[in-house]
Amino acid sequence: MIDGAGFPVAVEASGPSWAALILWLPAISTVLCGLCAAFKVRNKLAAWITVALLGGSFVLTASLFAGYEQPVTIHVLDWIGITWGDTSFVANFAFYIDSLTLLWMLFVTGLGTLIALYASEYMEQDVGGGYSRFFAGISIFLFAMTALVMGDNLLMLYLGWEGVGFASYWLIGYYYKKPSAVAAAKKAFIVNRIGDLGLALGIYLIWQTFGTVQYAELFTELQAGSYTEIAGGWTVQAIPFLLMLAAFGKSAQLPLYVWLPDAMEGPTPVSALIHAATMVTAGVYLLCRMFPLMALNELALPVVAWVGGLTALLAATIAMAQYDIKRIFAYSTISQLGYMFLGVGLLTTSGAAYHVFTHAFFKAVLFLTAGVVMHGMAGQLDLRKVSGLRKLPGWRITSYTMLYACMCLAGVPIVTNGFWSKDAIMAEAFAAHGPGFGALAIIALITALLTAYYTFRVWFRVCAGPVHYEPGDELHGESTGRFQPHAPRLIINAVLVAITVGAVVSIFCADWVLGMVGDSTAAGGIPGEHHVAEGASVWSDPHAWMPWVASVIGLVGIAIAWYFHLANRKAADKFKQVLQGNVLTAWLPKALENKWYVDELYHATIRAPLWLLGRILNLFDRYVLDMVFVDGIARLPRMLGRGFQPLANGVLQSYAVSMIGGVALVAVLVFVMPELMAMLSGLMGGGR
Amino acid sequence: MPANVLYISCVLGAIAIYLLLRPRPAALKPVAVILGLGALGWVFRSSSLAAAVDRPNLFFYIFSLIAIASAVRMITHRKPVYAALYFVMVVLSSAALFLLLEAEFMAFAMIIVYAGAILITYLFVLMLAHQAPQPGEDESQPDYDVIPREPAAAVAVGFIMLALLTDTIFQGVPQMRPPPSPQQLQAESWQIVNLLPDRIERSARREIDGFESFANSDPSVRMVGDTAYIDVIMTGSPQVVTVEAPLSALPENVERVGLALVAEFPVSLELAGVILLMAMYGAVIFARRQSEISETAS
Amino acid sequence: MTTLSLSHFLLTSAIIFVIGLIGFVTRRNMIVMFLCTELMFQAAAIAMIAFGHYHGDVSGQVFVIFILTVAAAEAALALGLVVLLFRRRATLSAEAWSELGEA
Repeated sequence: MIDGAGFPVAVEASGPSWAALILWLPAISTVLCGLCAAFKVRNKLAAWITVALLGGSFVLTASLFAGYEQPVTIHVLDWIGITWGDTSFVANFAFYIDSLTLLWMLFVTGLGTLIALYASEYMEQDVGGGYSRFFAGISIFLFAMTALVMGDNLLMLYLGWEGVGFASYWLIGYYYKKPSAVAAAKKAFIVNRIGDLGLALGIYLIWQTFGTVQYAELFTELQAGSYTEIAGGWTVQAIPFLLMLAAFGKSAQLPLYVWLPDAMEGPTPVSALIHAATMVTAGVYLLCRMFPLMALNELALPVVAWVGGLTALLAATIAMAQYDIKRIFAYSTISQLGYMFLGVGLLTTSGAAYHVFTHAFFKAVLFLTAGVVMHGMAGQLDLRKVSGLRKLPGWRITSYTMLYACMCLAGVPIVTNGFWSKDAIMAEAFAAHGPGFGALAIIALITALLTAYYTFRVWFRVCAGPVHYEPGDELHGESTGRFQPHAPRLIINAVLVAITVGAVVSIFCADWVLGMVGDSTAAGGIPGEHHVAEGASVWSDPHAWMPWVASVIGLVGIAIAWYFHLANRKAADKFKQVLQGNVLTAWLPKALENKWYVDELYHATIRAPLWLLGRILNLFDRYVLDMVFVDGIARLPRMLGRGFQPLANGVLQSYAVSMIGGVALVAVLVFVMPELMAMLSGLMGGGR
Repeated sequence: MPANVLYISCVLGAIAIYLLLRPRPAALKPVAVILGLGALGWVFRSSSLAAAVDRPNLFFYIFSLIAIASAVRMITHRKPVYAALYFVMVVLSSAALFLLLEAEFMAFAMIIVYAGAILITYLFVLMLAHQAPQPGEDESQPDYDVIPREPAAAVAVGFIMLALLTDTIFQGVPQMRPPPSPQQLQAESWQIVNLLPDRIERSARREIDGFESFANSDPSVRMVGDTAYIDVIMTGSPQVVTVEAPLSALPENVERVGLALVAEFPVSLELAGVILLMAMYGAVIFARRQSEISETAS
Repeated sequence: MTTLSLSHFLLTSAIIFVIGLIGFVTRRNMIVMFLCTELMFQAAAIAMIAFGHYHGDVSGQVFVIFILTVAAAEAALALGLVVLLFRRRATLSAEAWSELGEA
């Protein structure tokens, strides 16, 4: 159980005010790129602006990190401060800098700058078209992400949350002339909205329970009291679940993961930056930041763990049967995010954070290399149609950085950072006590096997084997016969190498990350702490034997992939036919290829009824509201007019009749009515 | 008179006139006539329940009946010339009613002006505006003379008005201030005579034997109580004798109307003249033929 | 004159007035319509003279003289207009001149 005390909270100390520039530099970049777009600038100016300003952001973050001693609050702007009676709602533009913030900000700004640099060459076909618009989108994304991570209150986090959702929508729909891209952008936004609802409700309930949305006050209050003293009934118990819902939406877990594979319609730098390295980790960040609150309900963290584990397994199975490289990596991201949530649920937030850190590097490399393949092969992403890339001149750096990233993802022992980070989480799964955690641990191991398999399926198919390539759909004026793949040039290669070096460096950062996380509000469990049993033999401490088991599993997976996809490629097809021939397993390949029909399920249960409801309401609106009420009322004057129209027929005598009739009516009213009224009131028992 | 009698007879009269208006089968006409007469008779009969001295003159009933019947016939007759002639009948009957009301001048003025001048004009215009029937068409009246226009609405509205009017008459008239007594009327007449000195002298000379002249050259009548006296000097003695004023000195209706016109309403008289002048102008302008303004001076 | 007989004279006047009213509204021949208005004048005259007689005042008859004058002037001009209108449309029907009505 977590206890409330034990993590440092920012007191009234304040940090350097130039830190505010970390937030404003991306904003300035957005405005400048927007101006470039408005003035239809025809060169790469927007890219250089973005890279320069984001680089400046990174430099400032690094120096902030260098001078960091204790958690601080930096006030930037007054935003909202309402007081009535003795309740108040205060939410300002201010930063809450502790080690968790710095950890996240370092890789966000660092990777942001590098990927922006990559995109400056990758997107060069669009120079003069949407190029500046793209970089404006990247800049606004980074502004929102900074607000999210560095904000000192939940409202600013929410601002950043919505902002990154919006930026994601902007960038997924970058190719707005493609209907599939537009649909994907809408899907991403709408599915995220469900999560955002959870976040909004959660923030409100937090404010209602604790009276504040600012981290400093919130955590001080949490530290002061124990959890049993927090009153509020089921609304308080609901807070962790609402925050969880938000995290699942943003980080693509069950049941809200369906938007991430479709989001691959966006340009590859976007997929790399947003949907691999930074935005999807916002959910993990939320849970880490709000970790003390997750203990408000005993079942909250186990639910997180289970959802994470199941998502990891599901996504891995789907990834095994996809043919589009980016889709495979998208499902892989979902799967690895599942691992991170598993870690959070198992109380090893430091393990989760370390996995976030390492995953950012190698997944970014994977996506960037997939982008290079797509860019060079004129849009071809089907791994059945590209092969043997490492033997092509100019493709070597791409192939080998991809190899290293695949090794990280598969968890090749010792030399990769992925091995160490996944090890932390999987060991904890075996060690921790909780509802069904044993089964969860087995699931995690199986998923690791599948991960290794599908990852190397990609590499063996694409980069190894005989040379063969077919161009995709985006040929720019060349005929198929004379097609030559475009090899990447200096900037792309430089970025790939830089990130790979970073991945290597991160191997040695485990303790550093541990320390960063442990110093922050996410401290809730350090691996290796609370489980050691009696009489330890080597086999009873999972942390001891886990590295061996994980290595074996990873190598087994790689071996299977080598057999089916390099040594004997036809064996894969034969295996598939075997599966389809056997009645018991015939459904398996089809289900996997069709992503377990989850999208179709959602369509049937949610979208179709809503569409039907919409049609019904449309009919109601058209025929009842419009025809009866609006048109009906509109017809009234006309009907009245038509009713009186015969009186005005231009014939003198009818006017005379009307006049006399009117006089008669008035006279009747004047002479007869008093008597009539007297008689009526006499009838009705006397006047009142 | 109870109100119910009035209302019911109004309804009956309405039905009667409605039936008379439309060209109906001939059998219905007598029914309508009987209905109408019955309604009228009922109304008039209710009044005969009062004392004899309060009842109107018999001649009133006769002439009223003639007037009303002629009016009804006027509005229901197909041929417009006949309608005009029935109107003459109405004018004659109402002149008779005026005579009953001691307004002799008005009676004859009405006959002379209305029946003699205005209706003759109407008859002239009717003859002028008569459409000559085409060869082959039958001689019956054009449509607009035969078929009335919305008789139901007209009759309904008209008789509602009548009901209200009669209701007001029979409730309001008893509340008017009582009429002046005959003595008062005569006293007023003697006052008027004072404005006509010539008249007194003429009738005094005719009726009083031995009348020579008025005392103090003052031919005025003095009222003592209800009788009028004049101071005269008889032939033979210079003494002033007071005798009763001769009754023939009382002014006739014509003289009274004339005196009122000139003495009390001179401005209206002039204005009436101006109206007639305007009418003459209008008539001249109508009668003038429109002259063409040609492009080239001829 | 008693109040009772005054009421009777007024009753006659009212009946003739309403008959003239019905005739004006019912007949479609323009000249007959004017004739009916003259009938209404007539009824008013009867009423006025009856009132004058009731009060012993001769003003009623003077007023009727003026009515007469106005009626004569009006009849002359009205008939002139009717003749002009008849020349336009060759019909005496009042419904021929209903152009101010709604279609």
